[in-house]
Amino acid sequence: MPDDILLRGTNIVKTFVLRGGAMGSKRVVTAVNGVDLEVRRGETFGIVGESGCGKSTLARCLVQLQPVTSGSIEFDGVDITTLSRRAMRPIRRNLQLVFQDPYASLNPRRTVGDIVADPMRVNKVGTKDEIMDRVGELFVLVGLDKSYLNRYPHEFSGGQRQRIGIARSLSLNPSLVIADEPVSALDVSVQAQVLNLMADLQEELQLTYVFIAHDLGVVRHVSDRVGVMYLGQMVEVGDADDLYDLPHHPYTEALLSVVPELNDTDAPKRERILISGDVPDPSDRPSGCSFHPRCPVATEKCKVETPTLVTLTTGRQVACHYPRNLSN
Amino acid sequence: MLSPESTPILEATDLKVSFSTRGGIIRAVDGLSFAVGAKETVGIVGESGSGKSVAMYTMLGLTRDANVSISGSVRFQGQEILGLSDTQMRPIRGGQIGMIFQDPMTALTPVYKVGWQIVEQLRAHTDLTKQQARARAIELLGEVGIPDPGRRVDSYPHEFSGGMRQRVVIAMALSCNPKLLIADEPTTALDVTTQAQILDLMTRLQENYGSSIIIITHDMGVIAEMADRVVVMYAGRPAEIGPEIDVVRNPQHPYTWGLLGAVPRTGVRTERLATIPGNAVTPLNVPEGCAFAPRCSFVMDQCATRPALHGDADHLNACWLSPAQKVELRGKVLRGEIDA
Amino acid sequence: MLRFVTKRLISAVLVLFSISVLVFLIFFATPGVNPAARIAGRSASPATLKAVEATFGLNRPIPIRYGLMMYHLFIKQDLSSYVNIGDKVIPQITQAAPVTLSLVFGAAVLWMVFGVWAGVIAAKNRGRFIDPFIMFVGIAAVSIPAYWLGEVVQLITQTSLHSSVFHWVPSTGFTPLSQNPLQWAVHLLFPWLTLAVLYAGIYARVLRSEMVNAMNEDYIRTARAKGLSERRILYRHALRCSLIPIVSLFGLDIGALIGGSALLIEVVFGLPGVGMLTYNSLTNLDLPVIMGTVMYGAFFVVLASAVVDILYAVIDPRVRVVS
Repeated sequence: MPDDILLRGTNIVKTFVLRGGAMGSKRVVTAVNGVDLEVRRGETFGIVGESGCGKSTLARCLVQLQPVTSGSIEFDGVDITTLSRRAMRPIRRNLQLVFQDPYASLNPRRTVGDIVADPMRVNKVGTKDEIMDRVGELFVLVGLDKSYLNRYPHEFSGGQRQRIGIARSLSLNPSLVIADEPVSALDVSVQAQVLNLMADLQEELQLTYVFIAHDLGVVRHVSDRVGVMYLGQMVEVGDADDLYDLPHHPYTEALLSVVPELNDTDAPKRERILISGDVPDPSDRPSGCSFHPRCPVATEKCKVETPTLVTLTTGRQVACHYPRNLSN
Repeated sequence: MLSPESTPILEATDLKVSFSTRGGIIRAVDGLSFAVGAKETVGIVGESGSGKSVAMYTMLGLTRDANVSISGSVRFQGQEILGLSDTQMRPIRGGQIGMIFQDPMTALTPVYKVGWQIVEQLRAHTDLTKQQARARAIELLGEVGIPDPGRRVDSYPHEFSGGMRQRVVIAMALSCNPKLLIADEPTTALDVTTQAQILDLMTRLQENYGSSIIIITHDMGVIAEMADRVVVMYAGRPAEIGPEIDVVRNPQHPYTWGLLGAVPRTGVRTERLATIPGNAVTPLNVPEGCAFAPRCSFVMDQCATRPALHGDADHLNACWLSPAQKVELRGKVLRGEIDA
Repeated sequence: MLRFVTKRLISAVLVLFSISVLVFLIFFATPGVNPAARIAGRSASPATLKAVEATFGLNRPIPIRYGLMMYHLFIKQDLSSYVNIGDKVIPQITQAAPVTLSLVFGAAVLWMVFGVWAGVIAAKNRGRFIDPFIMFVGIAAVSIPAYWLGEVVQLITQTSLHSSVFHWVPSTGFTPLSQNPLQWAVHLLFPWLTLAVLYAGIYARVLRSEMVNAMNEDYIRTARAKGLSERRILYRHALRCSLIPIVSLFGLDIGALIGGSALLIEVVFGLPGVGMLTYNSLTNLDLPVIMGTVMYGAFFVVLASAVVDILYAVIDPRVRVVS
């Protein structure tokens, strides 16, 4: 059912040209390298990957904070990569971003009430009073006291600021919220509060989330489906529980095997697969499969031939010549 | 607290660190006692503001603040080191106790080659000549898994990735064969695959060098991976101390329940996370009684009095709830049914 | 590294070229002025004007006029100032330059020594009385206008106390180093001190704040955890890193001062340097000389900033970009 898909990205590519410091040399960095993704209405689509995998750049492209280099992004059936600023405006209301850093993403010179009201003022929805009523509602919704409206961001803790950021993103009743590492700056107990809040809001407001994080546990907890990124590409996409239980891509498998887990049951732990080295420089991408220099099962074929993301009968998508843990 | 057969390498008793500020007195560490046995790894876990780092830096005499007051006792290999002068502490710092820091990107002096920085430490504590120290530095870099150490010894810190820099810091910390290694959030700034490499390296080196380790972290998963024993800190005070497996499987303190239940897992889907209501503690205004009381869902009249650490043998906690209450409430919290 | 140096020098040459074009256009190609009269001087005879017009090709297109002007200025070096016809521009500048160089380099040594010393002492004693005291003296030194201080120094050493304490101070003027090193130094001593006061104040304050920041850096904590002595931490780690911005400041200041910013000091102390030359040509509206000194100044500013960039790559390994 095509109208089940709220957001569809096709072959999204984003490159940056870096002028290398004093030498003045130019380098082209491909941060996102041909990503396809489909986000279904009402679901949480998790994107997980290590730093430098391009997940944050992808997030900014998805909300058109940065133009894509090529590819298309369809939101509710409309390709938003070709829209003018003016034509984008009504759509942007439905498409909101929650930022990673609750300290840097709120203007320190404005009261938090104003911060939450701003999107509504800019888009001229309702009268002054209506807007202030709505701000009050939003505060209650995210679990903040209305009496805080006239305070400034520095008076709040990290968790409270992230609640304010969420309230701001919800002020225009979006249908899709893209959250880029919304809890990674928070202490674990506060992180749990924010995650629970986001889950409650999703149910109450029937939101669709794209949830981007590096923490594999957090992504499993929030997501219905998960995409794993490596060096600007989706290497595996699938149902969250299936993917975590039976990863097919060697990168996913290794990633999951090395997450330190609580030692609270006698259940056997995953066998640790240590992958060596660091993520390569995205301006100097390995040939063939980008993961092959670190892959424990790579062969000659992987050095030459770039695997494409193929859909298996189970619905899982994986970009690997030698997918693992297939039950046949 | 410690199994009788091992003599502690380090023993802190009633360590208190407070800072007087304009806003009042900040009790950053308030009565911390713990011991580290030979070849043992002790994990200190807590959220930001729990005083875990301040406690470690104070033990090494690295808390330099005109407004600090420190009391208690810290014995290292039987010798009292709290209150030693800088000159007396210097052979211990870097020589007997090595340190690893959270952010490898900023932990090395940017203008010197990594080899120079390791040689500097070696020459501060040993009689090695420059050539010998350099040879040892290359050997150390190889040991921590830096490829082509003979060449990389002459690289600057910015020429390494984060994970590689942390390896350099580890090589430096181990250069003088320290008896104790203090690692302050050594993997927090790193990606999970790099974290795995670094934790692996630390475990391997511990076997080779026979050092004890204190690892400070907020990540219960890292504790599970590394620690033999755990100190859970809240607001500068120990909430629970015990063998890692006991603390994780049989946690006694509501704060520990909250911490454990709040962690989303990769192995199983968590339906609802346990939360601890309220905000992370600010060390100004810690209550007289139990420090956790303002956020605790099970607060009672008794909590106005500060609970002492108590419990069975080597598993201690500071909570007034009865053992039976603890077992009952704990299950509900860990399942996310109620707040901690 | 060599590539970097070459590139940096080429860009410096380009900048100098642009400046020369700009200066030329402003002085001799501004609409509504007669360039011949500017070069020939006030109330010059029609014959002189004709000759000037021919020499500088003033009826020819602008690029050729620019070329001829540069040819006369730099290659033939016979561009002369109109006020005292016969005094050529370039020899005047080459005569004045050693005076300015002596003044600036001598002062630079003093202000670096005092500035760094005071900055380190202040940073080392943060929180004690000596730190705010040094910083107060520093701000006072920065705030005192150099020419006023110069006048006061002149008044004391040349007039009021000249017969007693300062009888050894020679009257104003300059003795070349090659002629008599002692006289050279004695003549320049008070100009050096006067100029150095201002800059030592600035450098002490900048270095102190850099060092205080550096002492809070993680790598200082690492150095302490390594068991190094406080002395070593202060000098080998904190000071070494704090000197990076100081070096760039130093290069730019030197460039600007040699380029003519020491003008007021030269005038006050009667030193026949480039600043004095500029001052005199400005009062006489001697355009060829003004153009010459502006280009001379630009040369040193551009040269200094190129040297700073190259030096930066030497002292800060992070700037050596991986190519």
